[in-house]
Amino acid sequence: MTTGNMTAEDTLLDCQSAWKIFGKRAAEAMEAVKGRNLSKRDVLQEFNCVVGVSDASFQVRRGEIFCIMGLSGSGKSTLIRMLNRLIEPTNGRIEVKGRDIGAMNDADLRELRAKHMAMVFQSVALLPHRTVLENAAFGLEVQGISKADRNATAREALTTVGLGDWMDRYPTELSGGMQQRVGLARALTSDPEIILMDEPFSALDPLIRRQLQDEFRQLTKDLGKSAIFITHDLDEAIRIGDRIAIMKDGVIIQTGTAEDLILNPADDYVAEFVSSISKLHLIKAHSVMVPVETFLRDHPGASADDLAQASPETDIDDLIDLMVGQKGAGLAVVRDGQVAGVVTPASLLLGVKGSQASEGGHG
Amino acid sequence: MIDTAAFARSFDRVIDDALFWVSDNAAFLFDGLRLLFEGFYGAVYWALGALPWYVLAVLLGLAGWRLIDARAGIAIAIGMAACAMMGLWSGTMSTFALVLSATFLALLVALPVGVLAGLKPRLNRAIEPVLDLIQTMPPYIYLLPAIALLGFGPGTALAATLIVAMPPAIRLTALGIGRTPTEFLELGKSLGMTRGQMFLKIRLPFAVPSIMAGINQTLMMAFGMVVIAGIVGSGGLGQAIYDAIRTLDIAKSIDAAIAIVILTIVIDRLTQSLVQKKEGTA
Repeated sequence: MTTGNMTAEDTLLDCQSAWKIFGKRAAEAMEAVKGRNLSKRDVLQEFNCVVGVSDASFQVRRGEIFCIMGLSGSGKSTLIRMLNRLIEPTNGRIEVKGRDIGAMNDADLRELRAKHMAMVFQSVALLPHRTVLENAAFGLEVQGISKADRNATAREALTTVGLGDWMDRYPTELSGGMQQRVGLARALTSDPEIILMDEPFSALDPLIRRQLQDEFRQLTKDLGKSAIFITHDLDEAIRIGDRIAIMKDGVIIQTGTAEDLILNPADDYVAEFVSSISKLHLIKAHSVMVPVETFLRDHPGASADDLAQASPETDIDDLIDLMVGQKGAGLAVVRDGQVAGVVTPASLLLGVKGSQASEGGHG
Repeated sequence: MIDTAAFARSFDRVIDDALFWVSDNAAFLFDGLRLLFEGFYGAVYWALGALPWYVLAVLLGLAGWRLIDARAGIAIAIGMAACAMMGLWSGTMSTFALVLSATFLALLVALPVGVLAGLKPRLNRAIEPVLDLIQTMPPYIYLLPAIALLGFGPGTALAATLIVAMPPAIRLTALGIGRTPTEFLELGKSLGMTRGQMFLKIRLPFAVPSIMAGINQTLMMAFGMVVIAGIVGSGGLGQAIYDAIRTLDIAKSIDAAIAIVILTIVIDRLTQSLVQKKEGTA
């Protein structure tokens, strides 16, 4: 887990032990869960309540894209809706920019939603009787911004997402991918710090989806936004996310970078998920190298200084090319001018398999 | 054995007494209502009568041309002219005025009630059985209390018509307002909308086709009832038919029936086209 040592300024959104229990007796059930440590099934039997999200904690840093991956019914959609209180958490505390959103009154909450947190939906939700431009400007219209100003901002946002020529069309005239771009433009017009993405690309063709994933990541990074991105597709999460949280049955099982998840899966569920993922671009030299001493012990007489060099961030795909192209017994991984470790053919093969070198690991 | 006949007699007596009590003690209320209804109807009738028949026929024809197509426009103008040729223009206008004023007053109540019912499912559940009751009873049943409380004349016809005409508009408005797709409600919330904005910018636009269908249905119900209300002296085509039935003047009753059919088709086509126009842009 890489959620440690962060300063408060880094953290834009802090979700602390959020719970959602659905049902008429949710409050009672919550007390019972806290007091007696009931399981999901107990809560259903005893209180006829469904636990949607249990004890979810995570932090999102400024400029970070945080993916929440889970299959349907895992509670990910509920969780993201608690972040802007479209769904009220039953328990827990959610802070955005240091403010507890649970304590906000209606006006503050509206302000938060209108200006600081935008949301993009799987269904896009474009108003059919409005043009693309009017849809993109809709959020600003709600804020009471003049027509000239909001249209100017919306035009800019639509141009950014590549829909400059489509402003006067109606949503039904657009393809699914283009519609989702309008949804993104609408979210961008209010210049929010955080964008909540609720499975925005799930309904799109694979090719279009990949294109939008790359564009979205690029755009978010260029604009310096943070995003929380819900998906049921691990490939998508890895492609887009800086960090990934894996959810199952309402619980966040593991949070970490793609590399963390692959190298140190928290349980069999995560392990099975990541097993089908190609590791070539995800695992980096610093994870597969062995300590220099180990290398020297196995190769008496060799010197790390004679080896071809690679950086700690070189991925397996490039390491293979380097390894094949040189004659030495390994590759020296150089960090700050120092040899931090050596990638040997054996450790490289283990990396391809997705397991860490037997000795070594993070320096 | 319970004496059911005696029970029924006393039940009827209670109803009668109650009706008399109401008409004695709340006379000012019903006189006021009657004045209101007849005044409103009178104004609409006057406005329609202010134009010569050929002007109105051409105007309706033009409306048909704009809203539907040229053929429909010509057919509407010819139909209206036919009503005048049969010597039934004043009766047709009187029926038209009754339908318009009854529909307007019905919508004045039905639309707000429908909106509230659409927003509050609990209110909707309370209203549903009342609407069911109104709609399952034979429509002329409403003529009796109306005539007892308001007397003979167009005001009574208007009152009975109001009751019959309201349910479809209430139902379809509630349906339209209550069935806003969830994703758009979420969108509204996520954009920080106020309740007022949510209603005007999200719920209402999605409900418009359903509300327009409700208005069309209310209009048609009003039409049916206005003709039946000929019995209580509504005037117009309904009364013309009722009078013709009493004197067995079949030819005259058929003339009036033709005028009614023409007027119904004209009004239905025009309002239907409004519904479709709205749906077309939605």
